[in-house]
Amino acid sequence: MKTVFRVLPVLAVASLLTASVAVAHHSFAMFDKSVEKVATGTVVRWEFNVPHSWLRMNVKNPDGTETLWSFEGSAPPSLLQRGITGSTFEPGNVVTVSYCPLKDGRPGGGLGWARLANGTFVNPADGGCDGSVKAIEKWKPWLAAGYTSSTEAQKPK
Amino acid sequence: MSLNSRRRVVLIAFALANVPSLSSAQPGAFGGGFGPPLQVVAPPKAFATSDEHYKFLLSQAKGGTKHTLTSVPRWDGLWNTAGNTHMSMFIDPPGFTGKVKPGVLTPPYEKAYRERWRQQQELGEVQYDRLTHCEPPGYPRFLLEPYSHEFLNLPDQSYQINDFGPSIRRVYIGQEHKNVFGTHSWYGDTIGFWDGNKLVTHTKYLLPADFTRWSPMTSNQFESVETWELKRYPNDVERLEVQVTFYDRHAFVQPVSAVYAFRRAKELEAAGHRVQHWECETSNNDVIDSKGGTSSRLPGEPGFKDPRGTTLFPELPGQSRDPIYNTTLPAKKE
Repeated sequence: MKTVFRVLPVLAVASLLTASVAVAHHSFAMFDKSVEKVATGTVVRWEFNVPHSWLRMNVKNPDGTETLWSFEGSAPPSLLQRGITGSTFEPGNVVTVSYCPLKDGRPGGGLGWARLANGTFVNPADGGCDGSVKAIEKWKPWLAAGYTSSTEAQKPK
Repeated sequence: MSLNSRRRVVLIAFALANVPSLSSAQPGAFGGGFGPPLQVVAPPKAFATSDEHYKFLLSQAKGGTKHTLTSVPRWDGLWNTAGNTHMSMFIDPPGFTGKVKPGVLTPPYEKAYRERWRQQQELGEVQYDRLTHCEPPGYPRFLLEPYSHEFLNLPDQSYQINDFGPSIRRVYIGQEHKNVFGTHSWYGDTIGFWDGNKLVTHTKYLLPADFTRWSPMTSNQFESVETWELKRYPNDVERLEVQVTFYDRHAFVQPVSAVYAFRRAKELEAAGHRVQHWECETSNNDVIDSKGGTSSRLPGEPGFKDPRGTTLFPELPGQSRDPIYNTTLPAKKE
């Protein structure tokens, strides 16, 4: 966790620098990038793997049950440059993430930004969704207003 | 047409084909924007084949510089991609929203590429990428894969490593091509020579493939001549630049040239990154779906490969590949 704080000042620059390299292993056509959603859950596992990392999280359903969600992030060489390591998401941590959902409706998506338990935002995104500083700044007021979907947040009042 | 006028036409066509690439480096693409804009250096003259091109350069270098262990240029350490002019070979500016350049590819290859580019333009993504099936990046994708790289030079051989697969190219210095297996492969056969501090290479016997999912397909006659040179610019910019000319008598109307670059990955070294043997077969859950697009298997679904789960010997203790956290995922839904 200390690493995350230490590298925060460079995260903005690093995420901009690395955004263009998030285009490697497969097509991201399976994700619906026209909408960004937000989920809060408990980390089951952070698979910090090449060619893609996956964040597995238990997310509570309205009826109180839990569903295991899977969010795909970038590969370690890119993430390390953004201060994200294999221990950034530890099992049991409660985190909030943005994601672009799988088009077929299964519980998964392309990972955007992630807000750690201490409130710090990080950018683990690959090409499947936007985790940039710009996306984080866009979402901050939406989160404060309680929105969990970019569609809802952008709906004319 | 006389021999002289025919030669003039060839030279003009050659010059025209190379003019756009001189001015269309892509800042921002695959680590671009590091150092001054990349500029393609066209071959000294038009060559009909890659063999002809390589032999010409070898002759110009008088057989090449014979380096020793102490004089061979040292490029060891971690490297990252630092941009390229790759897309400019096939797409008019500005990159992903541009149009396919007509007449660069032969008709069947241009038709196939236009369909691929249609997907990119209309869907925002090409539907499928062969790496999804854990096929190696291969060459020339090696030159732009955004994973970390290592370049190790010895007097008689150079090793070029990409942290995915991992992919390893071997450059045999001062040797002739060999193909004892009688087939082509993902990285083909690469020979080379040193011209002072520049490494000149010749690659052939490659498998037919695609550069990337945004690029055209190539045939089994795809070959290249590369010149690798470590360049230094003001403000402490150190960049390994690779000038490449690609030949493919089935795919290209005439040879095409591009430049690829790498920079030292100091931030990765500082973060403690070391190149691993990241294999794809047992950990990748990306698959081709029934519509020909890409999808991912999720935990609990048939065929899901648990990247950090137990190995083939679950009955034994300590068989998890997640030793630090020892996590488990839901069992298969069959």
